[in-house]
Amino acid sequence: MTNAIRVHDTGDADVMKWEAVEVGNPGPGEARIKQSAAGLNYIDVYFRSGLYAGPPLPLTIGMEAAGVVESVGDGVSNVKVGDRVTYNMVMGAYAEERVIPAERLVALPDAISDETAAAMMLKGTTAWYLIRQIHKVKAGETILIHAASGGVGLIVCQWAKHLGATVIGTVGTDAKAELAKAHGCDHSIVYTRDNFKEQLLEITKGEKVPVVYDSVGKDTYMDSLDCLAPRGTLVLFGAASGPVPPFDLALLGAKGSLFITRPSLANYTGTREDLEAASNELFDVVKSGAVKIEVNQTYALKDAPQAHKDLEGRRTTGSTVFTI
Amino acid sequence: MSQAVLLHEPGPPENFSYEDITVADPGPGEAQMRQAFSGINFIDTHFRSGLYSPGDLPAVLGREGAGVITKLGEGVTDLSVGQRAAYGSVMGSYAEIRNIDASRLVPVPDEIADDVAAAMMLKGLTAQFLVRQVRKIGKGDTILIQAVAGGVGLILCQWAKHLGATVIGTVSSAEKAAIAKTKGCDHVILYEDVDFVEAVLDLTGGRGADAVYDAVGVKTFEGSMAATAEFGTVAHYGAPSGPIPPEVFGKLPRDRFLIRPTLPGFSAKRENLLAMADDLFAVVKSGGVSIEINQRFALKDVALAHVALESRRTTGSTVLEI
Repeated sequence: MTNAIRVHDTGDADVMKWEAVEVGNPGPGEARIKQSAAGLNYIDVYFRSGLYAGPPLPLTIGMEAAGVVESVGDGVSNVKVGDRVTYNMVMGAYAEERVIPAERLVALPDAISDETAAAMMLKGTTAWYLIRQIHKVKAGETILIHAASGGVGLIVCQWAKHLGATVIGTVGTDAKAELAKAHGCDHSIVYTRDNFKEQLLEITKGEKVPVVYDSVGKDTYMDSLDCLAPRGTLVLFGAASGPVPPFDLALLGAKGSLFITRPSLANYTGTREDLEAASNELFDVVKSGAVKIEVNQTYALKDAPQAHKDLEGRRTTGSTVFTI
Repeated sequence: MSQAVLLHEPGPPENFSYEDITVADPGPGEAQMRQAFSGINFIDTHFRSGLYSPGDLPAVLGREGAGVITKLGEGVTDLSVGQRAAYGSVMGSYAEIRNIDASRLVPVPDEIADDVAAAMMLKGLTAQFLVRQVRKIGKGDTILIQAVAGGVGLILCQWAKHLGATVIGTVSSAEKAAIAKTKGCDHVILYEDVDFVEAVLDLTGGRGADAVYDAVGVKTFEGSMAATAEFGTVAHYGAPSGPIPPEVFGKLPRDRFLIRPTLPGFSAKRENLLAMADDLFAVVKSGGVSIEINQRFALKDVALAHVALESRRTTGSTVLEI
């Protein structure tokens, strides 16, 4: 027997129960892994609360973790027993042990700890598709990232800076502005006080930017469109302030032949090839020190309810990890 | 004195009036041209009807033309009197003589005739940004062109084939289907008879098209988004069937790139305009794209040309002989 967090009914943080569960043997193409760290993400809250429809209950939530392969099923060749591995976007991470499709596992380099991997897989591969796939950030470019001090934001700031870009970021408070600056954000704009559109025009001398990464949504998208240079791309990768309401598509033409896209991590790392490319590039920038992953809170997995309460109460900063 | 077609009031085609006008000398940064041909485009009917504002009245409509430069204003250094030139997307082409912002004029190579230049500048440069910039089309790509038998459609179709793509096109009639096929369209869908989204998904093994080009508008755009592959691009570059209601944005599937491109958005910088024109001239000279002028009208008969366009009887390009 082994333990896992299970949700029998969706609802507030206390619906998560620490329980003994049965983990079967891996079937064909699967691996069984013993996990040592799992990541905490806001998407976990959405599946726990029922805002997002998940698999049938009872449900073990959690989208990223790291650990060691214990056994493999038939036909598995990419990992073997004893390998250190990690993954993103396979629900069921809040568990001591689990079975998982082996093709979703990537080998973890020695230089990266389990805790770091658990803290960065989801956010780091998100940053990868934003700045390496949707719009390949180049040296000399200027980009805008909203919520620059958030989990994805801090990785985007560091990685884009490493690629030679000038990074403009919006944040909610002066303290968050300092945090973003310490992670490579060249210009932190406190959007609650200053108009980010006007500041960006000033910083870029009216040239504007080729890409805006917007996870805020309703409150920011219109001004984000105004920050884009002709043929620029608005990437709506979240909607913290609510979904973008219907708007006249002709605006995209009037504001300069703009692109708009709503990406999903699952698709950008859906194939083995893309998952490996994303992981390898992420591991490289983390190993080189260009991107630092900071784990600011750790909780025992059985304390998941408290971790969710702290996340929802905005008492956490940066990445949070469960130690298992 | 010279002739031009004036629009004194937006409305039906009868509102056009063929009149003598006086054209002043070109101002700083302008060139004066004696035009040989004007192109005519569906968007012209929107400016005529008042759906789009034609600006100060009386207005001279028309957005592409070709001819010879007759005078240059102050400060124009990269063009010369006597040079053949053409332009797209600058209002005022329904005229014998006109002044124009010289930065919008492109010298026309000897191999390209005036009628072809006038017929293709707006449509050809539009096709250029669609297949070469909005998405770089190449071998292995499957694309969907709505209204493939139209002016931009036939150019897009040929150019995409030339670049190695598989082309699916929609048309409204069997006659137009036949024309599209002669221009290399691999699969023609009669969209009034067949659900084009299903047809495209069938033809692509359920994946959808890598790029979808839609200048039809409200009638097709929701379907265009649904027929776009993951990571594919859906371009809405015109809306003759009517503007797309805002709610449609909510139906954009994830992981698609939606763009509302305009020619000015891509060609505002002169260096970009010249590079795009070079690319267009090269593909036309190579024979990769042939410009089909299927309707010709005299300048004074522009009203008839508008009636023909609005009744959707035209195919390929239409020019006005001046």
